[in-house]
Amino acid sequence: MSAVREAIVLPVIFLTVTLLAAVSPGPPVTFAGPSLFALVLATMLVAALVRGHALLPAQLLHGSRSILANTNGAIVVAAVFAGSAQLLAMLTPRTGLPLFFVDVLLFVLLLNTLVTQPARRELLRSLAITLGSALILKFVVLAGLSDPTGSRTARVMVALFDAATFGTIAQDPIQPAAGYLAFAAAVLYLVGLALLVSRPPPRGRAELQSAPRMQSIRA
Amino acid sequence: MRESVVRGGGVALAIVYAAAIGWLFARQPQTIAQVTGGLAATVGAYRIDQQAFDDGLRFFRADQFVEARAAFARADAAERDARTQFYTAYSYYRQGWGRVYNDDALFTQGLKAVDKAIALAPGGRLVVDDQNLQMHSADELRAELQRGITREAADFNPLKLFRSRK
Repeated sequence: MSAVREAIVLPVIFLTVTLLAAVSPGPPVTFAGPSLFALVLATMLVAALVRGHALLPAQLLHGSRSILANTNGAIVVAAVFAGSAQLLAMLTPRTGLPLFFVDVLLFVLLLNTLVTQPARRELLRSLAITLGSALILKFVVLAGLSDPTGSRTARVMVALFDAATFGTIAQDPIQPAAGYLAFAAAVLYLVGLALLVSRPPPRGRAELQSAPRMQSIRA
Repeated sequence: MRESVVRGGGVALAIVYAAAIGWLFARQPQTIAQVTGGLAATVGAYRIDQQAFDDGLRFFRADQFVEARAAFARADAAERDARTQFYTAYSYYRQGWGRVYNDDALFTQGLKAVDKAIALAPGGRLVVDDQNLQMHSADELRAELQRGITREAADFNPLKLFRSRK
């Protein structure tokens, strides 16, 4: 990986994701940090990235590298974690049953990803689908159900839906700009993940590395 | 050599960027003016618009409080100057003060402004040397505003009709 990419491009990308995902357009404009559960999900996501070789800590932090290079690597890892936590917090609905179900869904999906240990390309595709689905659910479906500025028919439907679900589904109204910010943050995050590894390890590398040791054990 | 420069610059850039994000989380600015003013204040480079402040003071002394607040808002767009926030709070007090009852909404806004002034003042102590005012410290003003929105038995004392605005 080039020094420019590692020292400048990747930290800027992931810190920008952190910033974009933290903004909640107003009024009033607020900057909200990730919830505790978002930190747990981010830990699982980073672990899945490492296991799927989408993030190679050995390329970023190693005894053979200089202190400055290792500092750059540590910043990249920290920025990936911060961006992941903030992005997951942003994609999670704020209240009610959607918050519960999306949290459970993300937890199960990430747990499944950790266990199945997909290859890098499949992992990135899977993440794109997961993040995209969460974005559509929160900023299109739920935002549409909670939109107070629609037509009279739409507002009646929203009120009926809200009454039928005892107010457990409807969310606070979301500013239109929030969806665009979320989209930009998600795309930037996926671009950053794609740039994290310059030369992905060949398929089955882990098995190849462990093969001689296994042979010696058998012998 | 070039690589170490890039790596060093990257570390510095990341630290500054992360610090800026942390600052946004901590300060929660509402406008671009608050962002730029806050960052300028962090490095001690923030200055209010003195002309607008003088205009505000003139309006304030003429009991034109809405105009005064507009001028003070222009003078301290980032809301980073304790003295201007003090005068803003005082304008809410004087406008909201009434012989029979006070305007709770204006007093509440005044309380917010004086809290901001106290938070901005070094050590939380703010004293304004202005002979046209009867309350010179932010603590006095805050207590007066707080008393104004508190409901108590003394509110029904008829002698309150003879009190005067500070």
